[in-house]
Amino acid sequence: MGRIKKKGTAGAAKNFITRTRAVKKLQISLPDFRRLCIFKGIYPREPRNKKKVSKSSTASTTFYYTKDIQYLLHEPLLNKFRDHKALAKKIGRALGRGEAGDAARLEKNLTPKMTLDHIIKERYPTFVDALRDLDDALSMLFLFANLPSTSAVPPKTIALCQRLCLEFEHYLIISHSLKKSFLSIKGIYYQATIQGQDILWLVPYKFVQNITGDIDFRIMGTFVEFYTTLLGFINFRLYTSVGLVYPPKFNAGSDERGGELAAFILEGKGLDSAQTVVNDAVNANGHVPKAITSAAAQAEADKLAELPAPEEETEDSTALVAANGEEESTETIDTFEVTGQDADVLPQPQATGVETSTLFSPFTIYLSRETPRQPLEFLLKAFGCKRVGWDSILGDGAFTTNELDPAITHQIVDRPPLPRESLPAVPDAAPATAGEGADAKPAVGWPRSTVPGRTYVQPQWVWDCVNQGKLQRPDLYSPGATLPPHLSPWVKPKKGQYDPTAPLAEQELEGEAEEFEEEEEQIENGQEAEESEHEKAAPLKLNGKRKSLDVLLDREGSIEPGEGMDVAGSVSESEDEDEGEALTPDEEFDGFSEESESEVSETEEVRLQHQRELEAEARGVPVESLNGNVQPKSKTAEARKKFAKKRREEAEEKERLKMMLPQKKRKLLNRIEYGANKRDKESELLRKKRRKIESVKGGK
Amino acid sequence: MAPPSRKRKIVTRESPVVSGSASDDELEGGLLDGILSQSDDESVEDSEEENIEGLSEDQGSSSQEEDEGDLDSDEIPSDGEPDIREQIRKLNTNDGSSKSRHGKGPEDVVLRSNGSRLDLDTMENGGGQDEEDDEDLQPNYTVEVDANGNERYVYKEIDPVYDSDDSDAPEATNTIGDIPLSFYDSYPHIGYDINGKKIMRPAKGEALDALLDSIDIPKGWTGLTDPATGKPLELSQEELEVLKRITRNELPEDGYDPYPDMVHYFTGKEEIMPLSAAPEPKRRFVPSKHEAKRVMKIVKAIREGRIQPYKPPSEEVEEDPDVKTYDIWADEVPRLEHYMNIAAPKLPPPGYDESYHPPPEYLPDKDEKAAWIEADDEDREKEYLPTDHDALRKVPGYESFVKEKFERCLDLYLAPRVRRNKLNIDPESLLPKLPSPEELRPFPTTCAAVFRGHEGRVRSVSVDPHGVFLASGGDDGVVRIWELVTGRQLWSVKLSRDEAVHVVRWRPGKDAAVLAAAAGEDIYLIVPWSIISPDLDQISRDLLDAGWGYAASKPSTTTNGVVNKESPAKWSRPGSKLEEKGVLVKATVRSKVQVINWHRRGEYFSTVSPTGQSSAVAIHTLSKHLTQLPFRRLKGIPQSAQFHPSKPVFFVATQTSIRSYDLARQELVKILQPGAKYISSFDVHPGGDNLIVGTYDRRLLWHDLDLSSKPYKTLRYHKEAIRAVKFHQGGLPLFADASDDGSLQIFHGKVVGDLMENATIVPLKVLRGHQVKSRLGVMDVDWHPREPWCVSAGADGTCRLWN
Repeated sequence: MGRIKKKGTAGAAKNFITRTRAVKKLQISLPDFRRLCIFKGIYPREPRNKKKVSKSSTASTTFYYTKDIQYLLHEPLLNKFRDHKALAKKIGRALGRGEAGDAARLEKNLTPKMTLDHIIKERYPTFVDALRDLDDALSMLFLFANLPSTSAVPPKTIALCQRLCLEFEHYLIISHSLKKSFLSIKGIYYQATIQGQDILWLVPYKFVQNITGDIDFRIMGTFVEFYTTLLGFINFRLYTSVGLVYPPKFNAGSDERGGELAAFILEGKGLDSAQTVVNDAVNANGHVPKAITSAAAQAEADKLAELPAPEEETEDSTALVAANGEEESTETIDTFEVTGQDADVLPQPQATGVETSTLFSPFTIYLSRETPRQPLEFLLKAFGCKRVGWDSILGDGAFTTNELDPAITHQIVDRPPLPRESLPAVPDAAPATAGEGADAKPAVGWPRSTVPGRTYVQPQWVWDCVNQGKLQRPDLYSPGATLPPHLSPWVKPKKGQYDPTAPLAEQELEGEAEEFEEEEEQIENGQEAEESEHEKAAPLKLNGKRKSLDVLLDREGSIEPGEGMDVAGSVSESEDEDEGEALTPDEEFDGFSEESESEVSETEEVRLQHQRELEAEARGVPVESLNGNVQPKSKTAEARKKFAKKRREEAEEKERLKMMLPQKKRKLLNRIEYGANKRDKESELLRKKRRKIESVKGGK
Repeated sequence: MAPPSRKRKIVTRESPVVSGSASDDELEGGLLDGILSQSDDESVEDSEEENIEGLSEDQGSSSQEEDEGDLDSDEIPSDGEPDIREQIRKLNTNDGSSKSRHGKGPEDVVLRSNGSRLDLDTMENGGGQDEEDDEDLQPNYTVEVDANGNERYVYKEIDPVYDSDDSDAPEATNTIGDIPLSFYDSYPHIGYDINGKKIMRPAKGEALDALLDSIDIPKGWTGLTDPATGKPLELSQEELEVLKRITRNELPEDGYDPYPDMVHYFTGKEEIMPLSAAPEPKRRFVPSKHEAKRVMKIVKAIREGRIQPYKPPSEEVEEDPDVKTYDIWADEVPRLEHYMNIAAPKLPPPGYDESYHPPPEYLPDKDEKAAWIEADDEDREKEYLPTDHDALRKVPGYESFVKEKFERCLDLYLAPRVRRNKLNIDPESLLPKLPSPEELRPFPTTCAAVFRGHEGRVRSVSVDPHGVFLASGGDDGVVRIWELVTGRQLWSVKLSRDEAVHVVRWRPGKDAAVLAAAAGEDIYLIVPWSIISPDLDQISRDLLDAGWGYAASKPSTTTNGVVNKESPAKWSRPGSKLEEKGVLVKATVRSKVQVINWHRRGEYFSTVSPTGQSSAVAIHTLSKHLTQLPFRRLKGIPQSAQFHPSKPVFFVATQTSIRSYDLARQELVKILQPGAKYISSFDVHPGGDNLIVGTYDRRLLWHDLDLSSKPYKTLRYHKEAIRAVKFHQGGLPLFADASDDGSLQIFHGKVVGDLMENATIVPLKVLRGHQVKSRLGVMDVDWHPREPWCVSAGADGTCRLWN
């Protein structure tokens, strides 16, 4: 038998070290330790057995991995920290003696120069590693780029963050690697894919940030220091990888005028032949000629082609396009055709990124002054739009500042519609629009001068187009229209979970709808027992469902640009049955009253019936079952009972199986099912809410 | 200052003291002292008494008055050798002179004593050698003859002169150690000296001395007693003064200046004559030409630019360190992922409800909103409240943006990271693979018929081998036969007035219709002739009647002379009234029968009467009307007994175990330990290799006889005791148990012929219907011989057919 080992001399007790002991071992102060940990990316661990590590003391402590701390011992930064401490002493002494000049000299000459370059290389041995960790860095830097400078945040840092962020954005524009974006209540999410790594970051809206007292800017500053170094190297690598010179030239004057993206002048190999390439690309792009159908638009396009190169630098956008033109033959994936009968078919990526990334390339887009210029400019440029103009009040660098520029095809507006009376008399520009298919005189008009041949959309249109990968119908996004819901592009529909894009009927459990109807009826019966024509609710409900379905389906289908309503505010066909067009969203729900129900005239009912039949035919369901009027109430109850019974039986069966499980496995099963049940409940709640909303809508 | 030492000297050796007292003239005094001391020493050595005598003789009162006169040795009167008493008298007057001699006292004494010792030595050895030389050579002891006439070495006192062996040991010290003197209060002595001699207590105040004391208190008298010596402690004026200063925190010595003026070492004293008288040179007053030369040189160099007075500021615009100008990943080498490296988890992408304009169903309703607002930050499931804005321009800034990012930073560097294995198990895979319910069908699910008629509990039910009749027996003592399908009562007989019919069992085999019933100690064999066909009736009657003759002839033929032994059962006819009804045979055993089980061929049946002790288990032969008791003694109380369906094996269940016996070889085959506390019933699978056991402690146990003596499965699905268990005998893989909670449970129990495969047991159905009466539910259960029907007997007086 070997010697009995002493407790606490090996294993977990030696592998982990408390923070206090780590700090003592490194002989530095706690703030220095914190900085070092942030720089080096060292984090506490949760030992598997805390008792073994802490020698059976149960106080909650943070443990570090001992090898991490040993590794910190050799860190060159540690010496810099010590130098810095010595210098601080010297300066303090000098100041104490009143020798300010000495202090200044000391500070100037002796301040140790700290670089984090080696740490970047250490932490991210490969470029892909660095990209993988870029999420937090970008979110943080974009936040700091938008912060005001205070004593805690020096203006130099902010300027640096701004510069790095804009450089990064330029790269994304050039390389078209931005994939998705999402308007959230927190800010704007962007997702880019660089070298196969998905990078997701959040940019705040341009507002003054609320800074509470419990935020320690020293910690954040340390992070920012590290992240700036990281992003600097990443930018260098990215720029050089696409043949650009890094750093790009910075035009201070333009920046002062609010140039932002435009303040950087990119230089590189493929950027000399700027404008001609644009036109080539436009012509080469398949759907562009189709897009410009109307004569007026065609004329506009011709004019555009003749335009002289604008003063502002637009080379940035051309680099990749040029590359596209040249290398198209080699870069695209060839489709492999299966020759034999019995061969397996390997899947190939379908959609080429080029199409999506040049989504807006044929357009000239003008941003109204109330729109957020920075995200729109970035997004539009990243998705191929080379000609983005805006009101001069929004800053420097616009393609055009003239709102009436005839080259503009789309204008992004975010203004409330004004009632017609309140408008001053407008010189009638309407005749110009006569060529268009749609009527140019909406009931609620986009107030002032609606320039003919131009599509007015709300900003959400841009985001939805980007996320869907194709252009959306602009009439849904016309100024003043109720926007379709803005959905996160990252939620993948999972089986059994609620999906707002799918019709409700597809995802609800059997019998759920009937149950709901029953419930509703009970409530209604309780509330208005005397209501005789209650049965009419059913067809209306159905109708409501269909309508919302339509809307959703419409979102799926893409339309050709330019074909849509030129003048926003006109009502789509799908909505024409809506009698209360002028209703504001607030008033929408008032409709569920006796009045509106009684208004449902005979003809309307006949029409609805027909519609139902058509729909049923499409679905392949016998008409009778859908016929709300024929269907007696008892039938739904019966169906409901049947489903309830079925569900109960299923549950019983499951219980029976569970009964045979050993205790351990039963517990495990319960644990697994807990999460699933929670999700199920959540999605059931959502379905219920949606059903309610739809029934209200249908009742209107 | 060591007054105590002085005192001790006085006590132990008087001679020095005396000699010390005459210290003025050293020579003379020494001689005198020597003589005195010599005699004194001798006397001491002779005996203690003599010593005391000698003391008193020589020194008289000097030793006696030592309590007060410890200063004797110090304040030696300089004038010769007068009476000691006179000396003391003079103490007061001689104070001043004694003070001056104060310091020298002890030294004198030492010298003196040394001197006297030498004298003594010389005298003894009779030699007139030189003092110093001889000291080393001479032995320092004297040889004497003690009381026994032996030699005795008496060592001399060691004189602690400077270079003596023991320089610092005080002479003749008390050797009692560090104990209080009060221990010796009751003795005349106060301790022992180094030779073991007693140190006598210094004499205390005699009357005269007391008188003297009362006359004049000596100066320095403190009234204290020296704890070491027991003598009165007296302090001189100086000592008192010193004490006083110390208590006042002053410097003890008078006239000491703790802070003298500093005298500068060099300049403190002005020399009258300077070392050099040369006048101050001129160069001390005029600027140096040499220096000017050098300065000019430097100035010139600066002007010419050869020397730069300060470092020129380095090019400020050398490089902005924030702009990276090289590719750090130029030579990237991928590093293998280390197990301990845990990458920070990425933040999840936003969901639908985070949208600025989410679908309306994601918006919280009023209650949810209120709940969210009310909840603490930590309790909120989401840190934001989904809000709808119908236009982008209406979206406000997000309040806690910076805070969230800050918290993310904290998470990144402060949150302990742990690798967790996500449970990626399909919950379906955990569930056992069971045959589908369709495969398990048919099994009884509903109550098809209720048989009402019994008063009180129905104790037992049995379905006849044809599957037509149902026999039941209950607490009312009546055996009833019902038509199984309709529930109609066909036949009944009251067997006993006061005993319950505990068990009814049809004889297996379709050739005859015989029903065995037990009420109390009696077992009745019944042929319900009125409801069966005459042929069947005849065969059955023949079967029962065959034994009568045998029983009559048996005692004469088989048992030769052992008739005295009481027969285990008495077979008789039950009487004409019962015989009319069809009850043909009655066998009476010694105690109440609880269980009847037939052998598969219908030739034998076993009965169990748990209270019967040695006659508890009996096997009856139908054709011979013979009863045998297979077990002379049984361990435990038997509960049930059953024949193996195919082999000559007999199972007997006691309260805690089940034993199987080979009837042919008459030996124990196996003992099963179900682990139950109280077995109520068991049943053997028709295959014969499996056994189910029901227990009163709510367990249903499945035993595989080939597997182990422990149960293969223990099923606990009942809330109350299990009364009966039964396999389906007609080929369906079903078994049922009946419990006191008023329910039956039907299980699927499939036994495969393959030995490698275990039996599949699947719970199928809980049949509820019987009511629980006085904590008894279902008493018995039986299966239809072919169909998946089962019949149960309830404590509520009904039987039920389930199909």
